[in-house]
This record gives sequence, C-alpha cells and structure tokens, in this order.
Amino acid sequence: MLLDILTPTGKVYSGEVDAVQLPGLDGLFQILNNHAPLIAALSEGVVKVQTKNEKQTFNIKTGIVEVFKNKISVLTEGVA
Amino acid sequence: MGANLKEVRGRITSVKSTMQITKAMKMVSASKLRRATDRIVQIRPYANQLNSVLANIVSNLQGDYNLELAQVRDVKKVLIVLVTSDKGLCGGFNANVLKLAKNLIKDKYADLENNNGIELLYIGKKGIEGFRTYKVDNNTSYVNTLGKLEFENSSLIAQDIITLFKKGTYDRVEVVYNMFKNAAVQIPTAEQFLPVQTNIQDENVSPSDYIFEPGKEEILETLVPNILKTQFFRFLLDSVASEHGARMTAMDKATDNANELLKELNIVYNRVRQAAITTELSEIVSGAAALSAE
Repeated sequence: MLLDILTPTGKVYSGEVDAVQLPGLDGLFQILNNHAPLIAALSEGVVKVQTKNEKQTFNIKTGIVEVFKNKISVLTEGVA
Repeated sequence: MGANLKEVRGRITSVKSTMQITKAMKMVSASKLRRATDRIVQIRPYANQLNSVLANIVSNLQGDYNLELAQVRDVKKVLIVLVTSDKGLCGGFNANVLKLAKNLIKDKYADLENNNGIELLYIGKKGIEGFRTYKVDNNTSYVNTLGKLEFENSSLIAQDIITLFKKGTYDRVEVVYNMFKNAAVQIPTAEQFLPVQTNIQDENVSPSDYIFEPGKEEILETLVPNILKTQFFRFLLDSVASEHGARMTAMDKATDNANELLKELNIVYNRVRQAAITTELSEIVSGAAALSAE
C-alpha cells in the first residue's frame, strides 16, 4: 500500500509500505494492507513506517490521517 | 563649458551606480521569487488533501453540524488583516492593497468605522505607515515575519486570530493581500477568513463508509483550524511571491530607464566635449593666424 506524509512545506515521505503505526488521539494504532476506509485525528507523536527492508520513524505534530483503498495520507503540520 | 563637462560626467557616474543597485535588486528579487513560488507549489498537495478530507467528512455528516468557526454572528467588530511588505521599492504593490483596504472599510464597514468597530492587524511594515493618518485604534502588528516566513510563525498568528474569533472579540475577519498570479501581475484581494464559509462541493466525493476516529466532530475540531492555518499561510506566501514579483518588475523598469538616461547623457557628454574641442581648435587656429600675420 502507498503512504504519503504531507506537510505544508512539502512531501516528507512517499512510497510503498507494509505497515504504519500512528499516534491516534486515543492511543497508538497500526494500519496494515487492505484496511477499511478511515479518517482519524492524530496527536503529536511518532509515526513508525515498516517497509520490506527497513523501518523508519517520523516525529509528527498534530494532524489527520486518511486511509482509502490502500492509500494512506498523513497530513501533519510539521515533521521534526 | 569645462565645468559642464565635469557635471555631465558626474551625473553619468551617479546614474551608473544607481543602475547597478537596481540591477542587483532585480536579480535578488528574481531568485527570491523563484523560491517563493516553489513554496506555493509545495503547499498545494497538502492543502488539496486537507480539503478533500473535509469534503469527505462533510458528505458523511448527516444533518446539521454546528461548527464554532463557521458561526455567522451580527457583525459588531471586524478584524482586517492587512498583508503588505516590510520594504519598499516594489512599485504599486503596497499602494494597491492599501487602497483596497481603505475602500473596503469605506464601502462595506462605514458605520462600523464610526463606532470603533474596526481593528487592523498589520503584517508588514508598510501597512502601518499607510494607515498612520487613519483613525483606527488598538492595532496589532507583525513586522519582519515575512522575511523568514515559516509555517510555524504564520500558524501562530492564525491561531491567535482563531482564538479571538472563538472568544467573540471579532465577529468577522477579513484578509487583504496581494494574490499572486504571475511575476508581473498581482491581484489585490480581500477574502473572508472567518467565519468559515461552508460552500463545499461534494460532487467528486465518493461517499464511502469511513471509520471516524475518534468522531466526526472531534476530527472537524482539528481539521478546520488546520485548514485555516494552511489558508493563512497561503495568503502570506502569495503576498511574499507577489512582493518579489512586483519588485522584480519595478527594478527591471528602473534599470531600463537608467539605460535610457545613460544613452541621453552620453550624447550630451559627447556634444559638450566636441564643443570644447572645437572652441579650443578655433582658438589655436586664430592664435596661429595672429602670429603668422605679424
């Protein structure tokens, strides 16, 4: 599935991923392949991205995530 | 004639050095303009995605949703955010927005003006200068934010405005700025910032069963301020790009004018020099003639 991390100052990440862990308002949650359509608010925290070969983390500020048809868009005010 | 020759030479030097400055400013503005337009392009995917998420939520909301930031109240107090530049030498850039802001106050909020119902928030020094003779009280200003414009600073200002609107200090917020069309064209624009106008077209939205986490209202609470901050940042980015565009055009014209002036001055200089030589020659010839006549 495809992940985009977008901020007002540009795209931070774009690519094929296996799993994404996100900091929801009520706690961490993970998105895997074929997840149902979802819109969630995100709190400040760490986004963990798992691709085939490597793991990557991003410290995000508050934001929104939209999941639709294996396309994940993380919209955040900024990545530290 | 000799003194005149020196005078013309002095003017040529001065025009040349002015031209050097205008030329340099034009180059600087050109590169800053490129950077500014790049940032406008960069923010676009983020802004578009935010709007599409908003459209998705709104199309999934049944019935009314009561958004605090979309509340239309009786307008008793208006905040006008005036975006200008900190520096001059950019043609009609500042004059145009100032004129638009003054017209807006005169036409739309004439009765509020007499009841102290208008407050101004200046972003950029030129706005303060332009409204110095105007009687508007209790103003806030942000100077030097535009030079190193970052999303963080811009969103702090936006957050302040949002908070004040929520508190009821202002019933409406308008932003007056230069919209960026291209390097040569800026459009002075007045846009309503708050309350949020809810004219979302949900034509190309596929209504699907989204899971909302935690709930639609809570998401809207985070989403709408985000959208507003982004919008505000765009206003400022547009203004910055417009400023550099305007300065570039103005400085380009100034350089052209200097070139023209230089051409004329050179002709004058040559003419004066030739006249001096001719006088000198005729003096020598007549002197020689006087000598040989003896």
